[in-house]
Amino acid sequence: MSEAVETTIYPARTIHTMNRAHPSAEAIAVRGTRILGIGSVDELSTWAERLGPYTVDESFADKVLFPGFIEAHCHVMTGGMWQFPYVGFFDRRGVDGRLWTGCKNIAAVVERLSEVEQQIDDPEETLIAWGLDPIYFDGEERLLAHHLDEVSATRPMFVYHASGHLATVNSALMAKEGITRQAATPGVARYESGEPNGEFQEPAAMRLAGDAFTTFRQTIASAEAKWNYGFEARNAGNTTVADLGTSNVADEEKLTEWRSVVNDPDFPCRVMVAGASGVAGTVDPTSLAELVLELQATESEKLRFGVIKIVIDGSIQGFTARISWPHYFNAPEGHPGNGLWLIPPDQVADLVSVYHQAGLTVHCHCNGDEAAEVFIDAVEEAHRRHPRVDTRHTVQHCQLTTPPQYRRMATMGMCANIFSNHMFYWGDQHRELTVGPERAEQMDACGTAEAAGVSFSIHCDAPVTPMGPLHVAWCAVNRLTASGRVLGEQERISVDTALRAITTEAAYQLKLDHDIGSLEAGKLADLTVLDDDPYEVDPATLKDIGVWGTVVGGRKHPAAKSNA
Amino acid sequence: MSDIPVTVIGGYLGAGKTTMVNHLLRNAEERMAVLVNDFGSINIDEELISDRDGDTISLANGCICCSLADGLAAALDTVLAFDPKPERLLIEASGVADPASIAAYAHAPGLRLDAALVVVDAETIRARSTDKYVGDTVVRQLASADLLILNKVDLVDADVLSGTKAWLSRQAPKAAIVEATNGAVASAVIFDLGLVNRAVHNVSETVAEDVFQTWSWTGDELKRSHIENLMTALDERDDVFRVKGVVTLTDEPDQPMVLQRVGSRWSLTVLESEDKPTLSRVVAITAPDALKPDGLDTWLGSATST
Ligand SMILES: [Zn+2]
Repeated sequence: MSEAVETTIYPARTIHTMNRAHPSAEAIAVRGTRILGIGSVDELSTWAERLGPYTVDESFADKVLFPGFIEAHCHVMTGGMWQFPYVGFFDRRGVDGRLWTGCKNIAAVVERLSEVEQQIDDPEETLIAWGLDPIYFDGEERLLAHHLDEVSATRPMFVYHASGHLATVNSALMAKEGITRQAATPGVARYESGEPNGEFQEPAAMRLAGDAFTTFRQTIASAEAKWNYGFEARNAGNTTVADLGTSNVADEEKLTEWRSVVNDPDFPCRVMVAGASGVAGTVDPTSLAELVLELQATESEKLRFGVIKIVIDGSIQGFTARISWPHYFNAPEGHPGNGLWLIPPDQVADLVSVYHQAGLTVHCHCNGDEAAEVFIDAVEEAHRRHPRVDTRHTVQHCQLTTPPQYRRMATMGMCANIFSNHMFYWGDQHRELTVGPERAEQMDACGTAEAAGVSFSIHCDAPVTPMGPLHVAWCAVNRLTASGRVLGEQERISVDTALRAITTEAAYQLKLDHDIGSLEAGKLADLTVLDDDPYEVDPATLKDIGVWGTVVGGRKHPAAKSNA
Repeated sequence: MSDIPVTVIGGYLGAGKTTMVNHLLRNAEERMAVLVNDFGSINIDEELISDRDGDTISLANGCICCSLADGLAAALDTVLAFDPKPERLLIEASGVADPASIAAYAHAPGLRLDAALVVVDAETIRARSTDKYVGDTVVRQLASADLLILNKVDLVDADVLSGTKAWLSRQAPKAAIVEATNGAVASAVIFDLGLVNRAVHNVSETVAEDVFQTWSWTGDELKRSHIENLMTALDERDDVFRVKGVVTLTDEPDQPMVLQRVGSRWSLTVLESEDKPTLSRVVAITAPDALKPDGLDTWLGSATST
């Protein structure tokens, strides 16, 4: 009580509170980490004065304020990626605000890597880059060792693809790691001559890259990755992010790192760290449930727990999601017909029941509708075994979740977190290759979710797609693919619904809605500060609204200044 | 330093993978590192455990269990850093994993794939294979196996068993089928133990056992075509589990070769050893009734120059 708490009143161009009782206001008063109130400057001054000294801060006078946006499904490694140069197809902004223009072809990738290569002094140091996305290149162009050899014949190089399933290395790296035509590992792709061509497919082959792969894996899980995770969130306008199942919360060392990074006052974001269950085993479910409850009981305002993440299928663009008959539309040669289960479907009900009974919320990665069906069945079974109210168990990604499934979810109070960014990034591929036109138009069906009365959020799954709440909202509102096609007009939602999805609904889904998601007296003072009003701009330009930065718990965090 | 042999144990939920892993751990003849999905299911007598440290459990018999919590790549880095290095790596795949994708990790510096085993529940496999959700997964697993461990054979009738075996042969034409109860299978079948180093007898012999039989053949130089003919002939069978030997080939008499076959996957590689045996010796491990009455003599017999 000894510390002097002051009140700051921020007048703004508009404040959208997302609280239905008081949708907008001209000012907000912040006291300590929380909101004293919203209203007119006069109303707020009267109250503030009674409590002691206060200031009126005009810095947001021409800005539009929202409750801090919430990214309810992304991964901490997105921050770690920025320790390496980016060679992806789409423009992407680094944590320092630098705009990395997209590499639209192999020549651009080579040019980017050459620039970076010349800046590394140590000739032995391996050059690691990330984000390569050849799926968008014309004529199925592939980056191979001979391209990278143009960059350097002596420095080992490792380029991680955006899909996460491939890496391309140069001849120097293969020489260093002793990879020759004798290499028997499946996934070592070859030139016609039989020599390895530098493309390593899937982790077993990527592991041949030795130190480079190890360095990459360790870097994206480092403390610096956590800091950059927060910076990336801030730059995009998020004040809370959910690291959905990247972290082994049973790892004491990593947990300590989370605490020291996120609780640092300079760290610009709240983080919900989900406990990862059953991906490759991890600790047994009962112990994990106990651990997460324990962590939740001692959580801080900034670092939260209480969510369990389960992954049961793969990805649609990787042809590994579990999709009901007639399965895939135009799968590559040799595809087995349907995708992969990551845990046995018969085990899901037992697994969900453990966390359900413990009172935790289960978030289950279900890209395909068959996966969603298994999870929804499991939740129903868990309720049968242990009747419980207000679970908010969430279907994550929800990409092919069907109308009957949404209605079942509604009856059980389940939530959806819909991967709207897919519309733009892979919408064309879904139409042509993965699921075909009919199902592509029903993918990421925000309109159906809304009609069924399911509370839903929308997400980016960074690093899979870039962090950007307004982009995520733009996708759900416009449903435009990268080629400019509208995909499934009927599933579009209004700007208001989209903005609720990244504020109140995301908060509800994470069970943080008592603290964040709307601007009301008593809630945490988290704000997203925008240059323009999403309700006023042309919805087609929603994603282009400038983000000044954020306020988290009353503390300002301006976004990194950009170079473009 | 020779490469560490890797054995992958796959198979759907409830087939008996964990029982088998527990059995192998209790009867280990080598210092094995075992990578498991679910630590909780590994049920080792407490008195066997010498140390516990987060993601690893050390046993008094020199074996180590390591959790796959941080993924296979990380677990492999961990166990390969052990000193002394383990003599064998056993990887328990998850119930829905394709053993082939796990086996891919064994083709890496310092490792070699011994065998991909898939444990099959004799009672439920046929029904499982048509399951709406997992039928395709289960069938895919079978096709990746070198050896199918057909478990719980004591729980099914003889005619069901033979029907199931015939069906399995069609699903997994490259695999041999080993019958088992309670996940207990002899190490000589599961692992390519150092059979070639045993004393050499210049005769054919059989060692009858309950569950498998060993045939050995010893002679002089062999033509490469003899080996190839034998391998092709065995492709037709699902009751020859392993073939192993050191052979001297007529086209390269100074360079003894190691022959290894599991299921129908085989290789001939240069023998890395100081002492170079001049005789050829081939051993087959088979189901009890296989290769009767002449064993390997049928294919190699005429090759013996006496
Ligand atoms: Zn994700």
